[in-house]
Amino acid sequence: MLLRYVTKRLLIGLVQLVVLTVAVFFLIRLLPADPISRFVGLNPSEEAYAQAERSLGLDRPVHVQLLHYLGLAPSQGTGLLQGDLGDSWVSGSPIAQEIGTFLPVTLELITISFFVAFLIAVPVGMLSATRPGGAADRGVFVYSLFAGSQPEFWWGLLFVYLFFFVLGVAPAPLGLLSPMTSEPAVITGFITIDSLLAGRLDVFLEALHHLMLPVATLVFILSGPIIKMVRQNMVRALQSDFVLYARCAGLPARRIAFYALRAAMAPSMTLIGILYGFMLGGAVLVESVFSLGGLGQYAIRSILAFDYPAIQGVVLVITAISLSVYLLLDILHAMIDPRVAY
Amino acid sequence: MTVASEPMDKPRRRIDVLFLIGVSIVSLTVFLALFGPVLAPYDPTVATGSYAVPPPPLADWPRLFWGSITGSLDQPPHWFGTDASGLDVFSRVIAAPRIDLTIALAANGLSLVFGVLLGLAAGYYKHWWTEVMMRASDVLQSFPVFISAMILVALAGRSMTNIVIALALLYTPIYIRLTRSEVLSQKVRGYVEAARAIGNSEAVIAFRHVLPNSLAPALIQASVTIGFAILLTAGLSFVGAGVRPPAPEWGLMISTGANQVILGEWWPSVFPGIAISVTVFGFAVLGNALERRYDGA
Amino acid sequence: MTAPEVVSGEVVSTPAATVAPAPPVLTASGLKVAYPTPRGTVVAIDGLDLTIRQREVVGLVGDAGSGKSTTALALMGVVRPPGRILAGSIQFDGRDLLRCREEELRRIRGRDIGIIVQNPRGSLNPMLRIGKQIGNVYRAHNHASPLEARERAVDMLRMVGINDPDRRVKAFAHELSGGMAQRALIAMALSSEPRLLIADEPTSGLDVTIQAQFLDQMWETVQRTHSAILLISQDLGIIANYCDRVLVLHDRRIVEDAPARDFFARPAHPYSQSILGLQRASAGEQAQARRASSAATETLVEVDRLTKHFPIRGTDKVVQAVDTVSFAIGRGETVGLVGESGSGKTTIGRCLLRLEEPTSGEIRYRGQPISGIAQHHLRRFRSKLQIVFQDPYDSLNPRWTIGRILREPLDLHTTLTGRAKRDRARELLDMVGLDPNALDIRPRGLGAGAMQRLNIARALATDPEFIVLDEPTSVLAPSAVVGLIALLQKLQSDLQLSYLFISHDLTTVQYLCHRVAVMYLGQMVELGTVDQVFGSPRHPYAKALLASHLFPDPTRRRVDRHERETLTGEIPSPVDLPRGCYLYGRCPHATETCADAPQALDRQPDGRLVRCWRATAGEIGDSA
Repeated sequence: MLLRYVTKRLLIGLVQLVVLTVAVFFLIRLLPADPISRFVGLNPSEEAYAQAERSLGLDRPVHVQLLHYLGLAPSQGTGLLQGDLGDSWVSGSPIAQEIGTFLPVTLELITISFFVAFLIAVPVGMLSATRPGGAADRGVFVYSLFAGSQPEFWWGLLFVYLFFFVLGVAPAPLGLLSPMTSEPAVITGFITIDSLLAGRLDVFLEALHHLMLPVATLVFILSGPIIKMVRQNMVRALQSDFVLYARCAGLPARRIAFYALRAAMAPSMTLIGILYGFMLGGAVLVESVFSLGGLGQYAIRSILAFDYPAIQGVVLVITAISLSVYLLLDILHAMIDPRVAY
Repeated sequence: MTVASEPMDKPRRRIDVLFLIGVSIVSLTVFLALFGPVLAPYDPTVATGSYAVPPPPLADWPRLFWGSITGSLDQPPHWFGTDASGLDVFSRVIAAPRIDLTIALAANGLSLVFGVLLGLAAGYYKHWWTEVMMRASDVLQSFPVFISAMILVALAGRSMTNIVIALALLYTPIYIRLTRSEVLSQKVRGYVEAARAIGNSEAVIAFRHVLPNSLAPALIQASVTIGFAILLTAGLSFVGAGVRPPAPEWGLMISTGANQVILGEWWPSVFPGIAISVTVFGFAVLGNALERRYDGA
Repeated sequence: MTAPEVVSGEVVSTPAATVAPAPPVLTASGLKVAYPTPRGTVVAIDGLDLTIRQREVVGLVGDAGSGKSTTALALMGVVRPPGRILAGSIQFDGRDLLRCREEELRRIRGRDIGIIVQNPRGSLNPMLRIGKQIGNVYRAHNHASPLEARERAVDMLRMVGINDPDRRVKAFAHELSGGMAQRALIAMALSSEPRLLIADEPTSGLDVTIQAQFLDQMWETVQRTHSAILLISQDLGIIANYCDRVLVLHDRRIVEDAPARDFFARPAHPYSQSILGLQRASAGEQAQARRASSAATETLVEVDRLTKHFPIRGTDKVVQAVDTVSFAIGRGETVGLVGESGSGKTTIGRCLLRLEEPTSGEIRYRGQPISGIAQHHLRRFRSKLQIVFQDPYDSLNPRWTIGRILREPLDLHTTLTGRAKRDRARELLDMVGLDPNALDIRPRGLGAGAMQRLNIARALATDPEFIVLDEPTSVLAPSAVVGLIALLQKLQSDLQLSYLFISHDLTTVQYLCHRVAVMYLGQMVELGTVDQVFGSPRHPYAKALLASHLFPDPTRRRVDRHERETLTGEIPSPVDLPRGCYLYGRCPHATETCADAPQALDRQPDGRLVRCWRATAGEIGDSA
């Protein structure tokens, strides 16, 4: 049953990705941007312009370009169907490879941030739910509203000013490692993991040090909605009829707490997934404040350079990861809550 | 002991403090959007000639304040200092709502109107085109919001109008979805059946009975989304895909000041940041208060 | 030990019985519970006193919102958060439950006092298997291994009448029907053999035939374990059939405490008299006379072989909601439609109003067919045919004022001026017994009874001749039901209205209707006068339905009867209907023939119609 569900979800996701890819493909070509002039300068000769147009493949009819991109025109080389995201117009190197170097930084950043945010938010939200309306609860509530509505890039800057410039406890916001450090061999692409695999504890600690402020910024922003959600689900669980009945049946307090916790965690899964997906693109701002060199910055670079294949690649990868995370959390949800039908 | 030892709270008229805070912040923002550029002591887009002047120390503020009222100063004080290109930060901060709020309100207004009408159609009538529309809005909603906004604005041209259109496009599915699900639950209510039994036409039922009763979720969402639209507008400017300098816009101001923060020049970025922080919080608080009122009713 | 009768100033109590009363199990006195709300503290019960004696079944009646459920929980020292118990004591087993430690109290709950509550499915943990949950409760109070607890769960499920308990212990709450969930809850409540069972509306939401089965089971189980029961209900039929003593909760305290027979014969408190009004009237001469004078002279509405199928999405199957139903309603006549949920009675009402399109068949109003004509030509019929729905609150646009609600039909069907419409709206309010000056308020603050009157006023706005009443009293408090039925009757005689009265409450049907049709799985199984059908039902289903109905008459208690006409098993799915008689498989009179032969409605010598060949042949005796 689970297998059938996963297959079904994967198929739906695949269709969604294809539709999205085609939609983005047409969208960026509909918008009045002129990528060619980006590459040939402001006043090119007609010949140079046409030459550039040909080299980017923009001289062909749009549907031919699409077929080519999707890999449905084998005579013209590989495309999506063959797992080829194309080459960047800016650097000329394969986009899949470029994304491969930028993506781990983003995943590392947001995964650590989610983990820390969760560690903080769950106990706070639960505590707040045990006495709804109390002073502590109201304080937590205002905090969660506040944190959930803040410009994260500004807080990042503020942290830089305070902890780097004033206090000097944080490194300059210039990437994951200082330029002097030799990078460990790339195995997974995740610096924290690669440094450990290479036995380079110094690099590991340095990376953590550099991640400190960006993670703190994201944790601050993320803790708002997560606390709010945990609190709300916990309050709902504690006020539910089955917890009331468990009290009437004389169950020990610890078991009742467990009943409520499990009921509160299940619906939280969905929101976690949505937040994670949102952050994949939303981490852009924090990445650029700290010059981390993540996927978001790659996206900015590609978008501002009108690098169409790279834009397509970024959107595709982000959406694919989001969909996988949703699926994973939905499966987790179904494992906790038997009411969720596959 | 199960019996409560202390007496219960006396019934008191509790004023919703959060609601008041939200209303005040939102009112102030609207006020500045209307009059900010007029009230600004300097032209927010013209350099003053003094570069990177820090704000005056707090101790001087009363004197400067008195001076600016009586007109005994040679020139108005730079309350928040000036940035590296000589623009007065205070003037720009209070002039910015005209751009930020206008974008947020226009984008939400457009998406609210379209979203509610399409949501009503999708919930009330089951046709092939409403199905197609829902699938389309699904696809639109699976776009990564910030990246998509960047793509749309950067490729269409960095202008206020394009930001408004981009945000409206990205927000419409939210309103469609909210309204549709509310319409679906309202249209099976007894009062709708009763209206039908009395002899109303379906269009009258949809617009006169179902629509007014299905608006609340979208309106509550609007208050929250307006705040997020301000954040998004600022974020776009911050990465260089928003309005063009020297337009007074909070995100752009933070962005231009960002490089100096690392050198200790905090004021060009900090003041606009506080403005965003407070404004968006105000909208969030207002939305939350509206939601609680709606649920409690 | 002789406990003094708990008498506060306003309790009307009957003189002590001659037999010495059994010692009390639980005595509550001066109980006060309040809930803080944004608008201030609401006191739910205030100074409540009651005593429950050993092996006694005590009924607690009162309107919705009178604090019955609060009382049920408070007796175990539990309050729904954020409420609190402010005062009082609960003596149980020589202790005051409200003054002992939480841990001690926890041990008593579930072991010595068990409870079943209104919302059984919501009260079961949705994430744990039923067996595990029952086991957890058992292990909270007894030394038992998980395996023993599981065996206990199976035994308990078997005891409360669940088939195949070995399989059901593995079920989750959402996989159980309402009746099944309620049984699981009672299995949990009784697993440690408590001395007192508190049952709060244990059968709300169950169908009558299932309700009777369930209450019988509960009553027998408790008799076997020598427990006492506090049975809370607003259904006087349940109280009359199962209780020894009745407590009346009104205005936040107990206002009457009397043995059941005395209570039904001579209610002392004015509130008790008001809720018993219908029962007394229905036995009275007026009702007899009314039923005798069947007014049907001129046919107003005819239903001719009406059939309605609902297709199931994604399959080619259909739900057969209504299956070739024919009947006629005369001018000034009330026809009752009775049957359990899913019998198709509501669908018939909706088809009459063209809120559903019939699959086939015809509906005629004054000889003119209204089922085939286009929607936009329907308007002139709309003013003559109206409907009142089950849920009065839901039927009113929450944003509109009373004036606007009443003006809407006038706008559509009349050419009155604004002033005339206002006058007409006032007149309508007056007709249904509401304040004519209330035009500018919103109905939100009104009680359910008043809202239903407003719905009736709206239906009357266009001078209809025929009104479908779709369970109009089912969500009303007992006292409001009495008033509403009286109103409907008055309107009928004043305005010569015809009613189709759809209800599962046979007591009100008996009182209001001239003729009655019994529905089962979309088919009409018996149609006759109220006296015929209620006096001596012929069809086995009609017999069972009437036997299951708990008439509020403590002199004919169900538990005292020896033979009971009951059906076995569950109602078949309306998607896969049996080939022959739909009742085959549940019917005690079924034979081989019934399995294959579809049954037809046959006219009996006394004029009624019955869909059963054995009844027609006179092979089924007259035992009601």
